[in-house]
Amino acid sequence: MKKTEGIPTVTDSGKAVSSGSEWRRLLSFQNISAIYIFVVIFVIFSILVPALTGTQSFLAPGTWANLLDTQSLTVLAAIAVLIPLTAGVFNLAVGAEISFAMMLCIVLQLPSAQYQKDLGLALGLPWPVAAIITVLAGGLIGLASGLVVTRLKIDSFIATLGMSSILIALAYLISANRPFSVPAGFGSLSAANIPLGPFRLTLPVIVLIVIAVVGWYVLERTPIGRRMYAAGFNPDGARLSGVNVSRLQLGALVVGGLIAGVIGVLASSKFGGSPGYGNGMLLPALAAVFLGSTQFKGGRFNIWGTVLALYVLAVGIQGFLLVRVPDWITDFFYGVALIGAVAMSRWERTSKRLGAVKRATTLGSKK
Amino acid sequence: MSPSLGGAPLLTITGMVKEFPGLRALDDVSLDVHSGEIVAVVGHNGSGKSTLVKILAGVYTKDAGEVEFPASTADEPTELHIIHQDLGLSMQLTAIENLGIQKRQGVAGWAPFNKKQEIAHARELISRFGEPFDVTVPVGRLAPAQRSIIAIARALDGWKHPRNILILDEPTEALHASEVRVLFDAVKKLAAQGAGIIFISHRLDEVLDLSDRVVVLRDGRKVADESRERIDHDRLVAHVTGVAAGEAETGRVGRPHGDVVLEVENLSGAGIEDVDLTLHAGEVVGIAGVLGSGREALPALMFGSVPSHADRFELGGEPYEDRSPAESIRRGMGFVPGDRAKFGSIRLMTARENVTLPELKSLTNGAGAVSTKRERAHVMELIAKYDVKPPRPEQVFAQFSGGNQQKVVFAKWLRNNPRVLLLEEPTQGVDIGAKQALYGAIDAAAAAGAGVVVCSSEAKELVRLCDRVLVLRNGRVAAELSGEDLTETRVVLEGYGLGNEGEQ
Repeated sequence: MKKTEGIPTVTDSGKAVSSGSEWRRLLSFQNISAIYIFVVIFVIFSILVPALTGTQSFLAPGTWANLLDTQSLTVLAAIAVLIPLTAGVFNLAVGAEISFAMMLCIVLQLPSAQYQKDLGLALGLPWPVAAIITVLAGGLIGLASGLVVTRLKIDSFIATLGMSSILIALAYLISANRPFSVPAGFGSLSAANIPLGPFRLTLPVIVLIVIAVVGWYVLERTPIGRRMYAAGFNPDGARLSGVNVSRLQLGALVVGGLIAGVIGVLASSKFGGSPGYGNGMLLPALAAVFLGSTQFKGGRFNIWGTVLALYVLAVGIQGFLLVRVPDWITDFFYGVALIGAVAMSRWERTSKRLGAVKRATTLGSKK
Repeated sequence: MSPSLGGAPLLTITGMVKEFPGLRALDDVSLDVHSGEIVAVVGHNGSGKSTLVKILAGVYTKDAGEVEFPASTADEPTELHIIHQDLGLSMQLTAIENLGIQKRQGVAGWAPFNKKQEIAHARELISRFGEPFDVTVPVGRLAPAQRSIIAIARALDGWKHPRNILILDEPTEALHASEVRVLFDAVKKLAAQGAGIIFISHRLDEVLDLSDRVVVLRDGRKVADESRERIDHDRLVAHVTGVAAGEAETGRVGRPHGDVVLEVENLSGAGIEDVDLTLHAGEVVGIAGVLGSGREALPALMFGSVPSHADRFELGGEPYEDRSPAESIRRGMGFVPGDRAKFGSIRLMTARENVTLPELKSLTNGAGAVSTKRERAHVMELIAKYDVKPPRPEQVFAQFSGGNQQKVVFAKWLRNNPRVLLLEEPTQGVDIGAKQALYGAIDAAAAAGAGVVVCSSEAKELVRLCDRVLVLRNGRVAAELSGEDLTETRVVLEGYGLGNEGEQ
């Protein structure tokens, strides 16, 4: 049969591929474009920043340590979006979940004698108790979103968008629309750190590393992760292969909510409570998840791609801020990045499909 | 051709060829249609009739052959209109709006409506086919026959002369017998006015009722082209199945059977009513029936992916009430669905991931992770066993050819030696070579002790594979065929409800 002649044209990571071309694939622009983008951004700003501002701040180690720390919460938010998305559900409520968790964590610690009048939740709890309640509340919120999606069969996009609006309202309600500073003693939580050479690994960074490693392990190594990807790619097909799709989606939203609760605790320990804080995290998180899906795994949402993508975007923003571009550039940049990232992931899938179709037709015509 | 049909034909198709990878869907098919003539194109699933329509509609491009309109002149160009099975109507819009959709495009789409005029126009179009009906309610609320008439009226709206071609693709699928009358009267009126009609169907009685000429396709080739007077029911069946009465291949006999593995009493659910089934280890039972008979609904009900009720449902001697896919798999059932892309696979995952998805526990190590090494070795072994080409476990499922995709799906379900294997159209869209391999895999699974249920629209396939075939009609078991009685002809005839005529 001449059919077999078509086979060598099929390029994929099979066993037969030599190690040289395997390296080429690993280092290809398509596989790790974010790293190349990072290099470009890095070079541009390390020339621009000193030239325009006369300081070396872009290259200073402090800038980088600070970036690692400040962005760690946004990366966590991206993971809270990523996990449900892997199982095929959007979690657009992540920003509002964080805002709500922040306010809850602060308000629970406020002395009741002073605030009980207009803040029913001001119970004067010690911060560890408030933190635990906040994380659990995050999980409950995720459960509520999950039940709306899986039981009421409402599209996750709509369900979590609606949930988001409800949570923003609740965040204002429990805080009587007031910002609060960090309660005494609570600030030590986010400041806790392990010194590591010139850097200090702060608690948010450590939490990020732990959650990312656990998330990576579950998603890519365990049967649960395998089933989540299957549910995300084709829920009907996955169900017929014995995957309990709704239970996975429900669970994924609960985990997303728990992570949002953790972010809320850490953020409130650092910044106190401002009812709108988390809302700005949704867009960078989404952009990073989609840009991340184009990295390493050829179109699959994945943890390390997401982490990398977010830091690359953040470095870009940092550079802009150092050359004194106005603040609004952040929103602009993340908007462009989100659309660009989704376009890239679509393009990657289409080109793959076109490639497959082309191969199929050449097989046919050679017959 | 009847002599009354003088002049050049409206449509001539000569030597039409269409190939898909590993399959010749149309092989040198020629056909012509004259003004005033109703030509029926008949054939089983996979005979090539839908490929023919799709080429005429421009969905596929032909590999060879000519399509010409010899009667077409500058004054009277021949138009070709196709009414597809789903009619292409917008169910929420009214008849008027549906009729206007095609015309009101471009700049015309901005012009305001003249309601009165449009109602009058719609009524006039519809009244050509009999009693007019309400044109101002959403089409979804009309009877199916009335919908067909709207679709035909829309195709006809704007014909400058009646001598055009109208193709009806399985138009009676959703209709009741009384409604079929209404539709047929409308079609006959059109032909009487000079239109050439191509009527695609697999309902043999309707074909004999309506057409002036019958063209039969089988395996992509034209096997008969005869005027209505010269063909009767038996001859038509013989043409469609390709088997003359008396020389038929029969089902398998004498295969050893084990204990009962599946016992179902009075199973009812979407499309199925009170079906009984007893399946033994090592037995292959076929489910036949025309589209809509319940044939395609049954396996999903048994597997639990669609809710159903049964008075008794025992798998391996144990009652099994709350059926779900996950639980069915745990109890040793496997299900190969007919729609491979939508239900049978995760197209964007690799062959390896597809194969092991239903059961990963045996490949999981102490740390709760899937052991990559063991999984690869296991899948590699299965890929060799089922001869998947190319033998690459890491290739994305969608990038395999149809036949090899199905081999991967088979490997996925057969790897843990299921007790009960449910197969729906197991060789659909699969080339001949892979087909034989899949048949071999089914035989081997039965020999290894699985009870197999095969639902198929291909009578030949059922006769090849099965010990016994249940023929469904209107959701119920209409006949059970085995041994001497299990022939292609009987399977087809019972499916159409013509069992007695076939026995004369």
